[in-house]
Amino acid sequence: MQGDIRKWFMKQHDKKEDNGNAPKAAKPTLAIPGKVSTGKDASSSSPMKSVQGGQESSGRRKTSKYFASEKQNQEVAKEVSGPTSKRKVEKSSANVQPSHAKKLHTVKDDDDDDDFVLPKTGKSSSDATPSKKLKSGSGKGIPSPSTKEESDDVDDTPAMAKSSGRGRGRRGGAVGGRGKKLDDDEGGDGDDEDAKEVKSAGRGRGGRGGSAAGGGGRGGGRGGFMPFGERKDPPHKGEKEVPEGSPQCLDGLTFVISGTLDSLEREEAEDLIKRHGGRVTGSVSKKTTYLLCDEDIGGRKSETAKKLGTKFLTEDGLFDMIRASNRSKVTNKEETKKQVANKEETNKQVAGKEETKKQMDKMITSVPKSSPQKAVKKKDDVRKPAGTDSLPWTEKYKPKVLTDIIGNQSLVKQLNDWLKNWNENFLSGSSKGKGKKQNDSGAKKAILLSGTPGIGKTTSAKLVSQMLGFQTIEVNASDSRGKADSKIEKGIGSSTANSIKELVSNQSLNVDMNSSKHPKAVLIMDEVDGMSAGDRGGVADLILSIKMSKIPIICICNDRYSQKLKSLVNYCLLLSFHKPTKQQMAKRLAQVAKTEGLQVNEVALEELASRVNGDMRMALNQLQYMSLSMREIKYDDIRKRLLNSSKDEDMSPFTAVQKLFDYNGGNLRMDDRFDLSTSDPDLVPLIIQENYINYRPSSVKKDENGVQRMNLIARAADSIANADIINVQIRRYQKWQLFPSSTLQSSIIPAALLHGSREILEQGERNFNRFGGWLGKNSTMGKNYRLLDDVHVHLLSSLQFNLGRRTLCLEYLSLLLKQMTDPLKTMSKDEAVEKVVEFMDEYSISQEDFESLMAMSKFQGRPNPLDGVAPAVKAALTKAYKQGSKSRVIRTADLITLPGIKKAPKKRVAAMLEPIDDGVVGDADVAQNDENNSDAEDLGTGDDEEEKPKLDIESLSSKGIQLQMESKATGTKRAPAGRGRGGGGRGAAASSSKRKR
Amino acid sequence: MLWVDKYRPKTLDKVIIHQDVAQNLKKLVTEQDCPHLLFYGPSGSGKKTLIMALLRQMFGASAEKVKVENKNWKVDAGSRTIDLELTTLSSTHHVELNPSDAGFQDRYVVQEIIKEMAKNRPIDTKGKKGFKVLVLNEVDKLSREAQHSLRRTMEKYSASCRLILCCDSSSKVTEAVRSRCLNVRISAPKEDEIVKVLEFIGKKEGLQLPPGFAARIAEKSNRSLRRAILSFETCRVQQYPFTNNQVIPPMDWEEYIFEIASDIMKEQSPKRLFQVRGKLYELLVNCIPPEIVLKRLLYELLKKLDFELKHEVCHWAAYYEHRMRLGQKAIFHIEAFVAKFMSIYKGFLIATFG
Repeated sequence: MQGDIRKWFMKQHDKKEDNGNAPKAAKPTLAIPGKVSTGKDASSSSPMKSVQGGQESSGRRKTSKYFASEKQNQEVAKEVSGPTSKRKVEKSSANVQPSHAKKLHTVKDDDDDDDFVLPKTGKSSSDATPSKKLKSGSGKGIPSPSTKEESDDVDDTPAMAKSSGRGRGRRGGAVGGRGKKLDDDEGGDGDDEDAKEVKSAGRGRGGRGGSAAGGGGRGGGRGGFMPFGERKDPPHKGEKEVPEGSPQCLDGLTFVISGTLDSLEREEAEDLIKRHGGRVTGSVSKKTTYLLCDEDIGGRKSETAKKLGTKFLTEDGLFDMIRASNRSKVTNKEETKKQVANKEETNKQVAGKEETKKQMDKMITSVPKSSPQKAVKKKDDVRKPAGTDSLPWTEKYKPKVLTDIIGNQSLVKQLNDWLKNWNENFLSGSSKGKGKKQNDSGAKKAILLSGTPGIGKTTSAKLVSQMLGFQTIEVNASDSRGKADSKIEKGIGSSTANSIKELVSNQSLNVDMNSSKHPKAVLIMDEVDGMSAGDRGGVADLILSIKMSKIPIICICNDRYSQKLKSLVNYCLLLSFHKPTKQQMAKRLAQVAKTEGLQVNEVALEELASRVNGDMRMALNQLQYMSLSMREIKYDDIRKRLLNSSKDEDMSPFTAVQKLFDYNGGNLRMDDRFDLSTSDPDLVPLIIQENYINYRPSSVKKDENGVQRMNLIARAADSIANADIINVQIRRYQKWQLFPSSTLQSSIIPAALLHGSREILEQGERNFNRFGGWLGKNSTMGKNYRLLDDVHVHLLSSLQFNLGRRTLCLEYLSLLLKQMTDPLKTMSKDEAVEKVVEFMDEYSISQEDFESLMAMSKFQGRPNPLDGVAPAVKAALTKAYKQGSKSRVIRTADLITLPGIKKAPKKRVAAMLEPIDDGVVGDADVAQNDENNSDAEDLGTGDDEEEKPKLDIESLSSKGIQLQMESKATGTKRAPAGRGRGGGGRGAAASSSKRKR
Repeated sequence: MLWVDKYRPKTLDKVIIHQDVAQNLKKLVTEQDCPHLLFYGPSGSGKKTLIMALLRQMFGASAEKVKVENKNWKVDAGSRTIDLELTTLSSTHHVELNPSDAGFQDRYVVQEIIKEMAKNRPIDTKGKKGFKVLVLNEVDKLSREAQHSLRRTMEKYSASCRLILCCDSSSKVTEAVRSRCLNVRISAPKEDEIVKVLEFIGKKEGLQLPPGFAARIAEKSNRSLRRAILSFETCRVQQYPFTNNQVIPPMDWEEYIFEIASDIMKEQSPKRLFQVRGKLYELLVNCIPPEIVLKRLLYELLKKLDFELKHEVCHWAAYYEHRMRLGQKAIFHIEAFVAKFMSIYKGFLIATFG
């Protein structure tokens, strides 16, 4: 049974895979010895499996375990033959990697090594002789030395002959074994390559040479927005020349910056240190090497530093350190030598070109030629490198054992335990299992993994399943996951959901037969929060499946608080995956980089890790992408690359505003600005409006008395006001084509005018962008208007007063208040109370009105009208008023509010009026129809779609009386609106509505 | 009861100010059918008083028996139903309401209420008018759509419904509506007229008015009679007997705007602008209409301003007031005006004094 189902899955998704697997299956002979030889190492064999899993893009595709193990065996065999290492897993991946590249184009790769000698790397292969190269090429354990050497022989001689081949090798190697690409590089781009090569050398030199111009230029720009408190500008900002040293001169040093530096903004200093390989941390600890500060402000940092004996370093000292490294580098012989060598290369290049081409051609042809020879025995060797090399690194470096998973170890363990105990908990003796441990992790039949993308949810789910010998069946968003069709005649294969049902419910048969032999299955429902329109009833069906399931189900989602998953959450054990820390990520990235032969320092990787916001997949992709164009990745490269192409994430409007108003906000591209301001088109303008005054525009250089700044503010304010007008057009008249203009006026122009550093305007304010005050003020205003309305109505109903609200507010208010409060202050208690109550009765002002009048007449910084009124008097007033309200039979205001009933007056009146209103509306519809038709059409073209089904009913109703009766019940309300447009149904609809009335 | 309400003339005969207008109105309604009327004039000039007196003239004392209702309308606008709720003041003969309270859905109110009145036409008994009167306040605040829909309905249903429109400035009423009405301009009372009224009230209340005191109140009142009477009574509450040099207290909000204006004049800096914004918010939150705020602010600023800047500042005030009307978030526009003023004034100061 299970086999059948698997076939269905294959049928749907995996025909290709089938074909791919067939030839492999043909030769299990090789596999078995491999397994025997490494059988002892169980833990390392399963990671291999997962590599397999990675190659085939989903677990479901894997039709049999054997394929996996067979492939993996070869790897293991390879590993055994290679140098043994304690960390086998790592090693094996390290071995696999270079070997593919070498096999395909050995020359290139070897050249590569040669080319990328950097003074600091200290790689032994830098001055490798050809013979050594050969050894390293073939020595790395490919079990087919004969063919290998053959190809090496062919390649080797030209390689030695020409050093000019070097320039090209780099790119070729990086491209990673794509034959076509090679050709291109080879022939067409030869010159380009050279140019690039020269350039890169130049860059290196420039860096080390400490070009003054570059340093000075950078020094000119300020660090930008500083979110912490107010910090003074550096006293000699931009006046010093910022040196450049070798990229590793601060390697292993940890800095803490404190206070204001002499010439650098803090961000600049941080950048400088990171660029030279140092680390910058936030607070002083034992690991801190230096505390960078120019003035001892005696803060916490310097105190701790003194306690711990951390060295203090001034900015000049830092510069000296960097410069010092520089000098030593300049004199470095290797450096000069290399330059000379480069020149020679370029000279030889032209001559060598033809030869290179020939050699390359040979090599390329040699590979396909050799492969048929190897076909019988070594086919996998050829196939695999080609396959793995084109794989994204995310697949290639998937975790292979549980401990490989970065972060979330406890969650993974929990998952593991849950899965391990699943069968015991739910299949055997389910009754007692359920009864005793409800809160235990085993109590739920399904599990829900949640977390941001790229942190390894799917990977760990699969890995855990594989480790425990479960066979994974994955259903993700690419499958239709709708409700299972109850009609079985269609065949179960027709719908995924049906087959899931089958799978889930029929598993027990297998278990009964021989549970030990048959692999257990686990269903992984990936991206459950993506179940949307197409998957109607999907979640409900999933829950049903969980209830009746005989196999464990692992659900995976990004947002576990999604509305769609609300019901599902109750049936699942929830595991929330966290983002790994940047240190964890950097560690893993470093491993990958090392394996791939990339030179990346740790600081750069940490930067990368923090930029991608915990997304390992993203980090790997970025790394691979960068590896295509460079072999050595520095802090600056990552900064540059990720500055623009940073991850698309949910940006808070605050961040967006901050970016727009950043000191360097003027350098943003227009579309970036647009993206930023539309990240939240409602909130961003409000926040900008609230904060634009706080920015000191960087475009104004010298502005002693602030005239220019004031002018800019006036312009910005004008632009914001413009945006308001445009917004009215958009919202009220649906002119959405004006939206870009609105964005421009509300956000981009003010930001462009005023971007700079933020300063605080009020004592004690934090130097963050405030939330837009308008929303709050507007709602308070609305509330006050409502209160005023109530007061107004009460006053009106006293029949003494018949003026508008506005007059009430502007002119009556103060006198009313005076009349009500002054007696309380001046007269004796009883007399005053009596007088005030009398006055209030006369104008039918209630106690609440009294209070709202008080609230409305309060202005900030002015005395409260009730000041000076003794509390006893207030209490007496309240008491007197309440007594009065009991004895008062009908107050004038009671037309609306009856005494003692607290219900909102509006509701009550509305309830009384309702029957009348219905009639009114009905009749009005007809009369109004003429005028409304045009309006209705103006109001929304979007409404038309909604209208159509109704119209259909109506047009049907003209045909049959039965239907007409129905439409009378439902359609009459709509009828007037529909009539304007509904062609056929018009008469019927009209008549039906008329008859109803 | 407040004096303003106590001494409000109830009939057209009793009015003290605008007697000529009152007499004309009386003739108009007694001799012939009444046309649609549009009363306009500055606040505190007596429009409302005249309208009420006019209604009484038309329908007799029963026009004064009003009740307050919260009326609900369910308007079917295309696909959706709009729920509207407005407070109306109605007697058997007239309905009074403030359609601009409905915001930009005011046109539905205007249409609905007129149709409703047309539907429930009073039975034509002898001696009674065959129409009801609809009093619409603050027509100048009506949106343009509402005014357009008004002009059609007011013609269509004129047989059963007369409109009395009331607004401060006729310039904000569309030409079409204006031409369908008899326009009645109620000018602000002159200061000596105000003094006359104040003395009348003083006599009725039995108060001793020091010579010139009423004149001072009238002067301060900005030619608004209501204002004058209210501050008269405020003075009375504050201190009686009156003294010659008694301060006539300004309104709280006016004082507040005065503060803002002096703030602005004292310092022109982002910091000050920020503080001013806070104060402006305070005003708006306390239901002071933004137009009034802007107008008053300009008034206060102009008092302290150098002559050569006045024209420019006025221009910008008008500019931003207009835009405020087009827009929605009043504070943005007022702030823009303040920022503009600061920028102009600062530039001016530096140019003049260095």
